[in-house]
Amino acid sequence: MPLNSHPRDWKSAFLRYETLLFVVLVAEWLLFYHYGTSTNRRGLVVGFGTLDRQFDILRHSCEIGLLALALTPVILTAGIDLSVGSLLGLCAILFGKLWHDAGLSIPLAAGLTLVCGALAGGLNAGLITQLRLPPLIVTLGTYSLFRGLAEAITHGSVTYTDFPASFLFLGQERWSGLPTQAWVFLVVGLGMWLLVHRTTFGRSFRAIGFSPEGARYAGLPVERRVALVYVLTGVIAALAALIYTARLGQAKADAGTGYELFAITAVVFGGTSIFGGRGSITGTLLGVAAIAVLKSGLATLPVVIRMNAAEEMSGLLTGALLLLALTGSVLPKLFSTLRTKR
Amino acid sequence: MAATLPPSPPLLTLRRAAKSFGGVRALRGVDFELQAGEVHALLGENGAGKSTLIKLITGAHRPDAGEITVANRTLTGLTPALAQQLGIACIYQQPALFPDLTVEENIGLRLESSSPWQRIDWRARRARATELLRRVGAAIAPDTEVRTLSMPEQQLVEITCAVGAGARVVVMDEPTASLTHLEQQQLFAVVRELRTGGVGVIYISHRLEEIFALADRVTVLRDGASVGTHAVGDMTETTLIKLMVGREVAQLYPPSECAAGEIVLRVHNVGCAASGVRGVSFEVRAGEIFGLAGLVGAGRTELARILFGQTPADTGQIQLNGKSIAVRSPGEAIALGLAYVPEDRRRHGVILEMPIEENMTMAIHARIFPAAWLRFGRERRLALDFIRDLAVKCAGPNAPGGSLSGGNQQKVSLARWLATKPKLLILDEPTQGVDVGAKSEIHKIIRGLAQEGLAVIMISSDLPEILGMSDRIGVMRSGTLTTVLPGGSDASVVMAAALGQPQ
Repeated sequence: MPLNSHPRDWKSAFLRYETLLFVVLVAEWLLFYHYGTSTNRRGLVVGFGTLDRQFDILRHSCEIGLLALALTPVILTAGIDLSVGSLLGLCAILFGKLWHDAGLSIPLAAGLTLVCGALAGGLNAGLITQLRLPPLIVTLGTYSLFRGLAEAITHGSVTYTDFPASFLFLGQERWSGLPTQAWVFLVVGLGMWLLVHRTTFGRSFRAIGFSPEGARYAGLPVERRVALVYVLTGVIAALAALIYTARLGQAKADAGTGYELFAITAVVFGGTSIFGGRGSITGTLLGVAAIAVLKSGLATLPVVIRMNAAEEMSGLLTGALLLLALTGSVLPKLFSTLRTKR
Repeated sequence: MAATLPPSPPLLTLRRAAKSFGGVRALRGVDFELQAGEVHALLGENGAGKSTLIKLITGAHRPDAGEITVANRTLTGLTPALAQQLGIACIYQQPALFPDLTVEENIGLRLESSSPWQRIDWRARRARATELLRRVGAAIAPDTEVRTLSMPEQQLVEITCAVGAGARVVVMDEPTASLTHLEQQQLFAVVRELRTGGVGVIYISHRLEEIFALADRVTVLRDGASVGTHAVGDMTETTLIKLMVGREVAQLYPPSECAAGEIVLRVHNVGCAASGVRGVSFEVRAGEIFGLAGLVGAGRTELARILFGQTPADTGQIQLNGKSIAVRSPGEAIALGLAYVPEDRRRHGVILEMPIEENMTMAIHARIFPAAWLRFGRERRLALDFIRDLAVKCAGPNAPGGSLSGGNQQKVSLARWLATKPKLLILDEPTQGVDVGAKSEIHKIIRGLAQEGLAVIMISSDLPEILGMSDRIGVMRSGTLTTVLPGGSDASVVMAAALGQPQ
């Protein structure tokens, strides 16, 4: 189980879930490096063990990684946001429309897109905190709403392309040795880590996740904190939309379809309790990495290539790993309840 | 009523029944007996052990020791299913019916066994419901949805179920708490009907006049032990109250030494329609412990929640240090210097999964973490200071709150609020479910705080605690503060005020 990280508790570090996850990640990586790397007829190294492949993994995991980072505080408060994938699609379309149809400059269009993301997150936040509706249902509604809006704007057919190279640099080039978007991801990751583990905000998220009533009795502004995590999620989903558009060079209404599920999987796989309270940003980052390496690595295994089953295998293994991690995370709780009953 | 009862074997007998929760002895060897055709009242202060006794009878708890005899079967304990089978039914203050189903459906769900294919014979169900309702004299159509019924009508449906199940023992836990006088009379008629039919009724009520109007015998519980069973005809209200409280107030309480200072809190005519509190006026001075006594449900916790901004007042004025204040949220209350240690520490007082130190600093984030930035060293020092000052027994400041015993959890909850350096501290049942040792430690802490000049409001259902700790005692009844008594008042005077009996 991931614990509330405290700088003094190094002793328990080896027993922590994050450590276990890190070991799994390294083992997984070595496995693919060994079995997934080969030399082709012209004597070039191909497959998993190339730098290009590693950068590819990084590029592909940035958008889902951002969504997973945003979802960690949401899930820490015992909430959920199913609308992030749809919001990514809506923001991609809005960005394309603002730039292409409204003729705004790229920075202005990008800034407005982030504002739209915040507003969309604010809609979720308002429904959840003011009307006290359950987050699952609210975001299931906005999940359809945001995707529907994106499709309505484009009539399901318009795709925005021909973005300037200066913008595509964000998604397709490298800066200081790493894919550009990886730097954005790292900065957001660091920011989130600080927010969750080093500020009173993170402390409140956890308290709310464990016991919203208890947090209220302690005088914490429960509604404001909960609203904050959903608005923040909206902004980060908009940021992910920009990176997605830059990576593919096009903005379509179906951008980010199904991403919410991948992101939630990564968060939960990273050890954040779906019941709220427990979890860490480090865990989420490891969860994102483990799933991305698995997905990409499977496609390089000769046996999987022969069967042409990379997609199926990665879905199957991700699902199995998630269920395993979930089972593992409730076992200690189960044991402790059994003990108290006795 | 007849003091001599037929010498038939009793319906239900408890012998030396004992039950403890954690370190707290809720029942310490109680004898109790119920005859067929009698209404047997059960009387006692809050926490005297009435509900525990009822839970042993309905099988919700198993006694640690002693035996129960029902229908000539001697058992070491009951299960709810067995209790039902033996004809024991319980009618609670809040009827446990399905509001969206009709009366006949509710009756059917309780009484029908499943038929092949789970088929429902609607005609038989209706016929049975009609017949049973007629037997208890209830003028309710069987196809009425329960949600449209009044509280007493719902209680009648519960009684109907009990009758239909062939109950020989019917327990009624404060059935009249929410009834009007007329409804109460109707209920009494039904209870008398049951008695005539040979059913034994255990009747719990705080209203003494009901006991005199209805009961044949009365058993008084005090501190988890029975202080005697008497024929109601031999008793008067005064003797009953004496029996309920009649013990020496323990001398263990730390003495009050300090003269009260300036008025810290002045409450004038405060009320809140939503929580049923109305017209409350009192004041608390610096250095004073103002005890709030009253029965469970008298509105004491509700009053605390008003002062702390959880259910803001909609009438009246509140003044703190002479300035009018409006408290609309706990956050505002903390900023003004109010602190509230809630009653339910496991749900509200401490977040069990979080470390002690994080629990202790939870109400002072703004003060000790400037710019929202956590300062672990500062937090730990503060926690260690409180752990030392309040003598919290724990594995360390990072041990989760849930790993502590009740008394130590209460100290953590107290530390959280002392850390806010409040002007007024409201304590709600500060020693409920706490073992004796921790209890007197907590009392010393509270008295010490008052001596340092803090104004303290202490809500407690523990009468000796109220009497021993308070400098003045406010008594609440039915949502309002009826009486303010001086500290050291007689227990029976406080009890009589809580019960609404003129002395």
